[in-house]
Amino acid sequence: MSALSIELRKEKRTGVVPVLLAVGILGAAYAVVNFIVRKDTLLNLPLNPMDVLLTQLYGMIMILNMFGIVVAACMIYNMEFKGKAIKKMYMLPVSVPGMYLCKFLILSTLLFVAVVLQNLALMRIGMTDLPQGTFDMGTLIIFAGYSFITSMPVLSFMVLISSRFENMWVPLGVGVAGFLSGMALANSSISLLIIHPFVVMLKPAVAMSAQPDIAVVIAALIETLVFLSAGLWMPKNLRYE
Amino acid sequence: MDYIITTEQLTKKYKNFTSVNNVSLHIRRGSIYGFLGPNGAGKSTTMKMLLGLTAPTKGTFSIDGRHFPEDRLAILKEIGSFIESPSFYANLTGRENLDIIRRILGLPKDTVDDALELVGLEEFGNRLAKKYSLGMKQRLGLAGALLGRPPILILDEPTNGLDPSGIHEIRNLIKSLPSLYNCTIMISSHMLSEIELMADDIGILNHGRLLFEGSLDDLRQNALQTGFAADNLEDMFLSMVEKDNATRKQRAKL
Repeated sequence: MSALSIELRKEKRTGVVPVLLAVGILGAAYAVVNFIVRKDTLLNLPLNPMDVLLTQLYGMIMILNMFGIVVAACMIYNMEFKGKAIKKMYMLPVSVPGMYLCKFLILSTLLFVAVVLQNLALMRIGMTDLPQGTFDMGTLIIFAGYSFITSMPVLSFMVLISSRFENMWVPLGVGVAGFLSGMALANSSISLLIIHPFVVMLKPAVAMSAQPDIAVVIAALIETLVFLSAGLWMPKNLRYE
Repeated sequence: MDYIITTEQLTKKYKNFTSVNNVSLHIRRGSIYGFLGPNGAGKSTTMKMLLGLTAPTKGTFSIDGRHFPEDRLAILKEIGSFIESPSFYANLTGRENLDIIRRILGLPKDTVDDALELVGLEEFGNRLAKKYSLGMKQRLGLAGALLGRPPILILDEPTNGLDPSGIHEIRNLIKSLPSLYNCTIMISSHMLSEIELMADDIGILNHGRLLFEGSLDDLRQNALQTGFAADNLEDMFLSMVEKDNATRKQRAKL
């Protein structure tokens, strides 16, 4: 708990917290405005109203979340490298893998808050703008969980990458490359591509149904744990020189 | 003799280059140990190994009877360190930086003001560290090392970037620390005159090899016996290093 509070103190003036909160608010605002403007077009699509609400608005929200994760992950480690503060951390009686875990938890919590804000907006739209009796809270909660879980591999991967490169442009470039390659490969029928964390995050956005794909969920959970384990192993076994 | 830091055949190799070569150091408890050597001699690498920043290729060391990596946390709790250049969070003020270290070490709140006062930064504690001048960053790094007055200090060229009055001030501070709270200091510097004024014992490193270890009087004796100039530390140091370099060149030719 004390390690987490120390980590939160370090985040002061870095912009990590505002970035992900802004992503949550922007995503929520986008959903509300988009539905107001395109309500008739969206509801005339040959889809279940809940599928329209959840899948047709998620594309843009997911891109906002993805960029939020990439930028926040870059910033959360850049402040360690900027004044070589990380070197001091290695010379103090503190667990460096513990520090990594705290950063991971902070970003995961912030992303969770962003996803909650976005889904609160979707809930409001569902309750007020969908045809009477078509809004289903259970489906919304399951999709919110699905979108959060499928976003975690990118978060886990980006924290790992940003923890290994002192130059912030490297993880930022990896993030952009991941986004572009993910966009290109998301609709592919090759199931092996699911090992690409950005493809996993894009899966709910390219689906026409709000029902979670169990294979994608399992892949997301495995990838998140693999990247997290690698991130915890590295600071313990590869020394800072 | 009561040694607080000892190294045994400590070696660090990077591919074909040996940075530290079979170095065995003996640092007495409560003393100031001056670690001398030209650029690239292996001083910083040795210090980094003592702090666990880099792993030795060969050899062992013990700090207050403890060993790396099993006693890492216990060792680092006893050491205040400053290696190569100051390390700080640019987004935090000097005081906030020290507060992070204080929380990690589990020290009382007033230790931050104590450290700021020791290095003469109390006026600038609330300024962002990224806006500090080089000398102020150096002082902040030193304050981080002195926080909580640890029993062992490992300082790698702590007066780099300081103006002459700053050098004088920090030198006096370092000199006063063992009597102030009974700490042991290992300090490296290029300023030989500075080490001469501060150190009880010295170690001279060249190309990763320890050429000499002992007190200044021992060094003087040694220099006289070998026919080197023994007027001051600078002369003795230069003669010793030049002789070693000449021997190395000869060996390389063969």
